[in-house]
Amino acid sequence: MALRTLKLEIFRYNPNVSGDKPQMQEYILEEEPDMTLFMALTRLREEQDPSLIFDFSCRAAVCGSCAMLINGRPKLACKTMTKDLRKKITLMPLPVFKLIGDLSVDTGSWFRAMNKRLEAWVHTNKEFDPDAQEGRMDNDLALRIYESERCIECGCCVAGCGTAILREEFISSAGLNRLARFFIDPRDERSPDQYFEVIGNEYGTFGCVGLMACDDLCPMEIPLQQQLAFVRRKMLVAGLTGSGR
Amino acid sequence: MLQRILTHSNKTDLVIDLAELISGFLLVGFLWVHMFFVASVLVGPQAFNQVPKFLEAYYLAQIGIPAVIVLILAHMVLAGRRIPNRLQEMKMIWKHSRLLMHYDTWTWVFQVITGVAIGILAAAHIWTVVSRWTINMSISAERVTQSPYFIFYIILLICGEYHVGIGLYRIGVKWGWFKRQKLSKVLDVITLAIIAMGIVSLFVIKSHAGVTGGGGQ
Amino acid sequence: MSVPNPYITDVLVIGAGLAGERTAIEAASCGCDVTILSIVPPRRSHSTGAQGGMQASLGNTAMGRGDNTDIHFTDTVKGSDWGCDQDVARLFANLAPVAVRQLSYWGCPWNRVVAGRKTLPDGREIEELVEYEGLIMARDFGGTAKWRTCYTADGTGHTVQYTMDTVVLKMGITVHDRVETLSLIHDGEKCYGAICRCLRTGKLMVYLAKVTVIATGGYGRLYGASTNAIINEGTGMFIALNTGIVPLGNMEAVQFHPTAIVPSWVLITEGARGDGGYLLDKDLHRFMPDYEPAKKELASRDVVSRRMMHHMRIGKGVDSKYGLHLWLDIRHLGRKHIYTNLREIAKVCQDFNGIDPAKELIPVRPTQHYSMGGVRTNIDGAAYGLNGLYAAGEASCWDMHGFNRLGGNSLAETTVMGMVVGRKAAEYVAGTTFIYKESMVRDHIKRQQERINNLIAGRNGKENIYKLKKIMEDALLEKVFIFRNGKDLQEAVNTLREVYQRSLKAGLMSDGQGANPELGAALRLPGMLRLALCIAYGALQRTESRGSHSREDYPKRDDANWLKRTLAYWPEEGDLPVLKYEPVKITELPPGERGYGETAAVKK
Ligand SMILES: Cc1cc2nc3c(=O)[nH]c(=O)nc-3n(C[C@H](O)[C@H](O)[C@H](O)COP(=O)(O)OP(=O)(O)OC[C@H]3O[C@@H](n4cnc5c(N)ncnc54)[C@H](O)[C@@H]3O)c2cc1C
Ligand code: HEM
Ligand code: HEM
Ligand code: SF4
Ligand code: F3S
Ligand code: FES
Repeated sequence: MALRTLKLEIFRYNPNVSGDKPQMQEYILEEEPDMTLFMALTRLREEQDPSLIFDFSCRAAVCGSCAMLINGRPKLACKTMTKDLRKKITLMPLPVFKLIGDLSVDTGSWFRAMNKRLEAWVHTNKEFDPDAQEGRMDNDLALRIYESERCIECGCCVAGCGTAILREEFISSAGLNRLARFFIDPRDERSPDQYFEVIGNEYGTFGCVGLMACDDLCPMEIPLQQQLAFVRRKMLVAGLTGSGR
Repeated sequence: MLQRILTHSNKTDLVIDLAELISGFLLVGFLWVHMFFVASVLVGPQAFNQVPKFLEAYYLAQIGIPAVIVLILAHMVLAGRRIPNRLQEMKMIWKHSRLLMHYDTWTWVFQVITGVAIGILAAAHIWTVVSRWTINMSISAERVTQSPYFIFYIILLICGEYHVGIGLYRIGVKWGWFKRQKLSKVLDVITLAIIAMGIVSLFVIKSHAGVTGGGGQ
Repeated sequence: MSVPNPYITDVLVIGAGLAGERTAIEAASCGCDVTILSIVPPRRSHSTGAQGGMQASLGNTAMGRGDNTDIHFTDTVKGSDWGCDQDVARLFANLAPVAVRQLSYWGCPWNRVVAGRKTLPDGREIEELVEYEGLIMARDFGGTAKWRTCYTADGTGHTVQYTMDTVVLKMGITVHDRVETLSLIHDGEKCYGAICRCLRTGKLMVYLAKVTVIATGGYGRLYGASTNAIINEGTGMFIALNTGIVPLGNMEAVQFHPTAIVPSWVLITEGARGDGGYLLDKDLHRFMPDYEPAKKELASRDVVSRRMMHHMRIGKGVDSKYGLHLWLDIRHLGRKHIYTNLREIAKVCQDFNGIDPAKELIPVRPTQHYSMGGVRTNIDGAAYGLNGLYAAGEASCWDMHGFNRLGGNSLAETTVMGMVVGRKAAEYVAGTTFIYKESMVRDHIKRQQERINNLIAGRNGKENIYKLKKIMEDALLEKVFIFRNGKDLQEAVNTLREVYQRSLKAGLMSDGQGANPELGAALRLPGMLRLALCIAYGALQRTESRGSHSREDYPKRDDANWLKRTLAYWPEEGDLPVLKYEPVKITELPPGERGYGETAAVKK
């Protein structure tokens, strides 16, 4: 494989530095074998511009820290190899989320607020008994729960969704997928009615217009279309049969 | 934001979404049936002339036409609420689509644009047809022969079929009975077939200009 | 200098990984006001990266039948090469099943037993019984007598951390993310909280607490090649060490994993070899059978790592821009097997090297993986030296791992230890009144503020921190790695001492304004070098081989002289740690053969 000279156009803006203005800055970097954007950005920071702000943690595509717009598309930078990109690469921070600086955005706070709003935890009246055997569960159901639970809260789906960009209240597919996980979990004793209260509305399941960017962009390849449709159908039934408002 | 969510009625949102689904389905049904009615000209002018008679005999025209108009108006309100209404929103969604270069997002943008286009074009179309009620080969042919009309119909045809094809795809995807890729392929084929059929019908209608004699019978 | 307003809480937990969150939950359910600090949002902690599983002797699966806490205890002690405290290992083994079941109660989607007959990859027939159907399943992990490792598909750490975080959310425990702790506030007897830097704005913050818990994870990133998340820089350990009073335990005990992919060092799990993968050298020769005729590629982690290093040393490694490596070959397992049973490995190959493991060879190399050492605590998790300071998880040396941690015992440790420490911290809170001297707090803030000011102004010098860091990484990787010897270790210590001195003269290239990352790195560097010195110097002094600490010049375990734990203190002045030693606690199982690893291989 021929190694190239890469030209990176990177969004720069540090809101904490007074007088700083948003701009695109260009960097030149020699490509290396098997180079990922994690390596490229680290090298830029260590050799050319140590003030460059970006987020990585696991650098193994499991923690969701490093999503950014790579040539316009939300992707995980740590698992994007430069050899799959053209010579000129544009990097921008994700939209929707609050900008911290340069390529870093506050996905953490967004997801925390979302999880609070959904009360995304198991609601149960049972007490834990340390001496008792665990409750049984069908393995297929456990795997189905895991299928939704795999979301790493990277925000790619949110940043790619036109609805989320237009409406800041929209819970987005990550939220609906998270809810689906509790909906099918028998340990969560919430009734369909209670779920309907939370997401059976324009800010939740009925706000999605089916743009499907989420489904195409999710780096974990979670089947978001099926998850969204599942929630929508369940909420339809819950809304028609339930006593909700 | 909290206030808005708390005072919000979820039931209403559900009913609106359901109404959008049902109105969407009915409109697709209407348009496809409508296209087949027009395409009856391919069988022959007699068949074409038979359609309005049939409709009138069973009062389908008298009830059907107003019903369709109401349905369209309802749909304009229901689906129309999704149209980015402020200039800034339009700019945002346009910029987003350009940056993302994502197929389904673009189709939605065009769905909105074609929807607005249909709103204007179909109103004019329905007005011209209904204001000279009844329908028969010669009146239609007379209209279609005029070149602005011909082009008008081609545009309306493409907008309408595109809008409906994508609309049906979106319904399928949102409610999730089908695999996206398959559904999209099937609908693309149907849409192109109907557009082709529509264009051929238009030419055939045009070719009948003058042949069956002018004026209403 | 403007003094930031202190934020006051009962229990301050530094670190939102599994250990930190579990501690916080326990303390909060005992009625304490708890605040968690973390560099990243909790769900982005390193714990989410663990794939394999978590050990607990539930004995539900056919291959785990008859398992109990005694066997788990024995495996753990043997694994530690008798370097652990046995009372701690006992407490741990007893509580692990409770921890796993509680996680299930909280919603963790553990894989479950499916009844029926199965054939294992090695041809053995087993039958899962109907009476166990639906209970928590377990898989096989190295060094265990029974299948004991509970798991959720390929994402155990992820699901356990997410489950834990839902409980934190539910209980409304305060979490401040993007906050990095720089130092502890203490008066030589008691710990009063911590000075931190906000990673959103770059401002200093002060947290005051009756109890401070260090749960900051491992230090893998001191090494140039590590499977750890890049935020694992051992910060929690050196803020304890920097007090001069709190010792770090067994820092020379470092675990290496045989197969990380080159050059991103992402872990290739044992599954690849477990299912029949081969290790090949530059001549595409399968070399493991030459060294380990019986177990071949399936010998224990430390053994395979050592054999690989040896083979590369004798000139059989593949040369690359990123140094020598070997090949992992799973092509013969077939495309179907690879893309169903080894899906996560296939994904790593595609994502990080763009290769198709069904057709191509995978470049691998042994890599730093886990730190057994850490802030030395007693069985309650209370740090030596300072009242009101606790530690939990990988950052601690509770000491149940001794000189080698078993796979799956670390996730279990974080959770079990969190339960213990949270309760003990709450008890401490109940029995203490909080009085602090404002001048002491002000002193501590001033010290950190001065460091920052000096760095920004370049008052101490202009040493480039990234260059210094690279020297440190290479020194550890080359001289304090899998094979150790007196000469190399001495050289490493010399290099590290010199770099440490230079790190005190570091200056910035950028302006250091706002949440400037270079400033953060500069603040961490001297502390990281102290840790590196504790590791290298501890290894130099320990003239025996035990567990993962393998001395070529002292290849045998030496219980007569070295059945003891290293305690490293950092003196006020100087550039070397002061080492002291304490005996390990042996309550049940006297030192003996491990039954695997080099000793076993030699016997055969
Ligand atoms: C690739 C890989 C696979 C693994 N697989 C397994 C496995 O299958 N089974 C098993 O048992 N173990 C496994 N381990 C080990 C296990 O994952 C870790 O030991 C364990 O997760 C450590 O948890 P922790 O809570 O102690 O620390 P971490 O999860 O590392 O959390 C540390 C926390 O501290 C915070 N922090 C750090 N420094 C500061 C600071 N200065 N100020 C504020 N906050 C700070 C971080 O933000 C983070 O929230 C694996 C390790 C690796 C590298
Ligand atoms: C009058 C002008 C029209 C406008 C402004 C309009 C606008 C829209 C818009 C904005 C949508 C997207 C709604 C969403 O994403 O939720 C939509 C969907 C749709 N439209 Fe129209 N449209 C018009 C006319 C029509 C006509 C005449 C038909 C059929 C004959 C039609 C059929 C559909 C269908 C089937 C959908 C999909 C509904 C859904 O997703 O639930 N539209 N329309
Ligand atoms: C309910 C009222 C409607 C009536 C009575 C009606 C009637 C007709 C008639 C008679 C024609 C034949 C051409 C002509 O005579 O000019 C025609 C053609 C056409 N109509 Fe309508 N129409 C109606 C609504 C609509 C709507 C809502 C749409 C758009 C979405 C539409 C789209 C078209 C198109 C595209 C053609 C051209 C046909 C072709 O290409 O083959 N019509 N319509
Ligand atoms: S659903 Fe997928 S894209 Fe969305 S946050 Fe989760 S992992 Fe990221
Ligand atoms: S992109 Fe957005 S509109 Fe729906 S289908 Fe996905 S959430
Ligand atoms: S750094 Fe963790 S997903 Fe990229």
